[in-house]
This record gives sequence, C-alpha cells and structure tokens, in this order.
Amino acid sequence: MIEKEKEPKTEEFEPKIVGFLCNWCSYAGADLAGTSRIQYPPNVRIIRVMCSGSVDSMYILRALLEGADGVFIGGCHPGDCHYIDGNYKARRRIVLLKDILNTFGIEKERVWVRWISASEGQKFAETMREMTEEIRKLGPNPIAKQWNI
Amino acid sequence: MEPKILKVKNGDVTKTINEFLKELLNSGKVHSLLVPQAVPSKKMVFPVLISDSNQLNADVFAPLLPASTARIISKMTKFQATKEPIGVVLRSCQIRALVELVKLNQANLENIIIIGVDCLGTFSIDSFVNFSEGKTPTEFILEAFKEKGNSSDKYLRSACCVCKDPIPTNADITIGVYGVDLDKEVLIDVATKAGEKVIEDLKLDDTKSVKEREKSIKTIREEKTKKRTEFVKEKRSINGIAALSEFFDKCINCHNCMTVCPICYCKECLYDSSVFDAEAYKFLRKADRKGLFKMPNDSLLFHLGKMNHMILSCVECGLCEQGCPSNIPLMDVFIPAAENAQKEFDYHPGKDPEEKIPMIVYREDEYLEVGEK
Repeated sequence: MIEKEKEPKTEEFEPKIVGFLCNWCSYAGADLAGTSRIQYPPNVRIIRVMCSGSVDSMYILRALLEGADGVFIGGCHPGDCHYIDGNYKARRRIVLLKDILNTFGIEKERVWVRWISASEGQKFAETMREMTEEIRKLGPNPIAKQWNI
Repeated sequence: MEPKILKVKNGDVTKTINEFLKELLNSGKVHSLLVPQAVPSKKMVFPVLISDSNQLNADVFAPLLPASTARIISKMTKFQATKEPIGVVLRSCQIRALVELVKLNQANLENIIIIGVDCLGTFSIDSFVNFSEGKTPTEFILEAFKEKGNSSDKYLRSACCVCKDPIPTNADITIGVYGVDLDKEVLIDVATKAGEKVIEDLKLDDTKSVKEREKSIKTIREEKTKKRTEFVKEKRSINGIAALSEFFDKCINCHNCMTVCPICYCKECLYDSSVFDAEAYKFLRKADRKGLFKMPNDSLLFHLGKMNHMILSCVECGLCEQGCPSNIPLMDVFIPAAENAQKEFDYHPGKDPEEKIPMIVYREDEYLEVGEK
C-alpha cells in the first residue's frame, strides 16, 4: 500500500515552500539556525545545491507547477560566491524567470530570493518566518488545482 | 561603398538575380552558394548548396521558409570554419538567428559571405504548396509588392505579419527591393570589405540616389513596429495559469517547436531526456495529491522552461509555429514574452555580433533589489 499524504489537521492553511540553498552560504546559515536552536516554521523543504547559480529555471518552474506554494532560493551575498560569480548569474536568471511569469500573469510573488551567509542563522530563521507568513497571506497556489497542465 | 544596381532584363527580377549569382559563382570568389531553389517537383523551395553554376535556378524571393537556414550554416561550420568561401542567401530573421548561433559558439562566420535579401514575407508550407492564384507564389508576391497592395497579406505567416525588421542587417551584401523600381532595377548594397572583395570583378551599375530606398525602409520599419506593438498588446489577454494552459490545450508534447527552433541547439534537450520519468509510485502520489492529472504531463513545464532557455535570443522567425502539428499559434506567446524579456535586459538578438547574451554576463551593480526585502 502506498501511504497517502495526510491532510493537515488544522484548518489554517500551511504553505509548502521548496527552498534551494547553496552549499557554501545559505545551507550553512540554515545549519547554524538549527545548531543554535533558533525556532523557525517547518514549512520549508530544503534542497541543498552547490550554488544558487546552478538552480536552473526548470527547478523553480517545476516546483511551482507541481503545486508548491512558494519557492525560495538562497545564495551567498553578491561578491561572496564560492564560485566567484554564480550568484550574479542566478540573479539575472531569476529576473528573467520573473519577467516571463509576469508576462503570463503567473504569481511571481511566490518566488523569493535572499542572500544569506553562513554566519546568518538568525537571518535565515527570520526570512523563513517572514516568507511563510507572506505566502500564507497569498493563499494556496492555484496551480495545484490545475490538472490539465 | 556606394550601393550598386542590377538592371532588370525583361522585367524578370528572379532571372536577373540568378544571372548575378551565376556570375558570382563563375568568378571563383565563392566556392559555392547556399540559395533557395525549387526541388524537382517544383512544389517546395529548399536551400541548396550549389557549386555548378549551370544548375543554378535560385528563387530568392520564394515566400517560404521551410527550415532554419541559419541552422544549416551552423551544421556546416560549428566544428570548423569553412576553408573555401561560401555565399549564403538569407532572410533577415535567419541572419539574426545566425548571429545568435555565432554567439552561442554554434556557427563560424569565417569565409561565410552573407547575402541578405529584403524579405517580402513568407507563406505557410500549406499555402505555398497548394497555391491557387494561377501563378507561382514568387510571381504573386513580387506583383503584390510592385503594386504596393496588400493582396499577399492573407497568405503571410503571423510571424511575418509582425516581423521585427524585414531589412537584413549584418549582411555583407544586400539584395534590396524596398524603395527600388523592380521593373527596372535591383539594388546591390555592399556593407563590408568581404562583400566588396566578392563583387569587385562583377560589372554593376552605380545608383543615382538611395533616398527613395531610405524613405521606404523607414516606412516599412515603422509600419511593422506598429503592427507588432498592436499584436503584443492584443495578445496580453493570455493571462493567468488557466488561460495559459488552455492556450496549450492542443499540445501533444512532440517537442517539434524545439526541434525546428534555430536557437535551441542543445544536442540533447533536458526535456527530451528521461529526467522526468520516474517510478510509478511518484505518479500515483501526484494523482493522490491532485485527484487526477492529464497525461502526457509536463507540457506547460516544457513550454515555460524552453522559453526561459531561449527567449532572449528569440529572433521571431515563427518556425516553431510553422512546425506545430497541432497548429498552436505559438507567436501569440513568444512575441509578448520576447518583447518583455529583451526589453528587461536591453538586448537585441541578431543586431550586434559583439553584444553578449545576457545570461552569460553580469554587472555587480545591477538588480540590487533582487535578494533584498
């Protein structure tokens, strides 16, 4: 038997957020938040990537089209990329993606980018709190109900 | 170099240009020519690579773009530049595509002489093959052009109706018809040293004035820009996920739009790979989550993903739309998306070979708002 995904018991909508965190900064930042025992909402599902520059638009699109309520991309601060310029390229790529989403009236507000360093555990936790609340206000991703895409 | 003219003999423009091309081939300045020429059945016109001038019977104004000519040149030059010069006859959209392919390291322009042709527009393959106005499509479109009428508009592909610029840029030699009295002459405009070298031995007449042409080019560019702006405005109606998925309802996931696209050069496309195949339980989990979903799935993911990968270089040739077996009017989504994205990065595909593709360069002091609150 396949275990069916359980519906949340509470009435309140709990956003599902897919987070792509770069190995060198944001993932370490999230790790620090954990080891420092800083509380943050469990709504984010973290996927570690080597660099924010390695996040192809396809990953973000796929998450959104599969029904994720939000997509988070975390990278090193501009100038701090482990691979020198990966985050600068990620920045352009996200501008392009948001531009295309905007052209077709798909909510680009569901895609978030933040630069979080390995020492910013606090900032990571705060960002997750902020994002969860903002996405909660936006409501569930309407694409989740679209079955003919 | 001042533009030259070819005197049209017996009012036959195609024949005059053929004689010019024949002379070019016989002069030995080019080894071969890549020109549009009718296949033996006369039904279709394809680019042919021709070295024997006796067999040359080019149809440069044939209103048909069966496949991307830029891609054919990429095929021949991406591994190694040609050692022998080749003259290639191209429409403006294909020159733009070729320039983009050069930027993507998929073509090499060394020893390639670009002979641009003022484009009068192209028909769909179906209208071209089954043309029933009592003359060939080429004769028809040339006559419509001479009469300055719009009788050929109804046959034009939508991409051609709203063409960015039908006048070739970045050509070594341009065969000009706009602002030229086609009953008497055709303009030969040489823009580069390579072009000059190729035609230096040919006997061409000097032109008296190009004012008329400049005026005509300005008018046609303004006209097309206006039409394109209106088109973009009108197509903004595709708004929201429901409208977008309805637009792609007829998509059968064949990926032909990608196969025929001059810009999509990847040998193996991610969307053709088995990345999206998975164990059955993953599909079942999705079915549980949604209740139901259409198969084959991921068609919108493909279209939006493809768009992200190539839209900045989109030259709006409309081959994707022509290649769609379900007749989805793809230009309705590609032109507005290209317009917005290219404006965002202030990028003009095909315009300047030195201009870098936006996704491979960056500036430290740009988009500072991204990643901040």
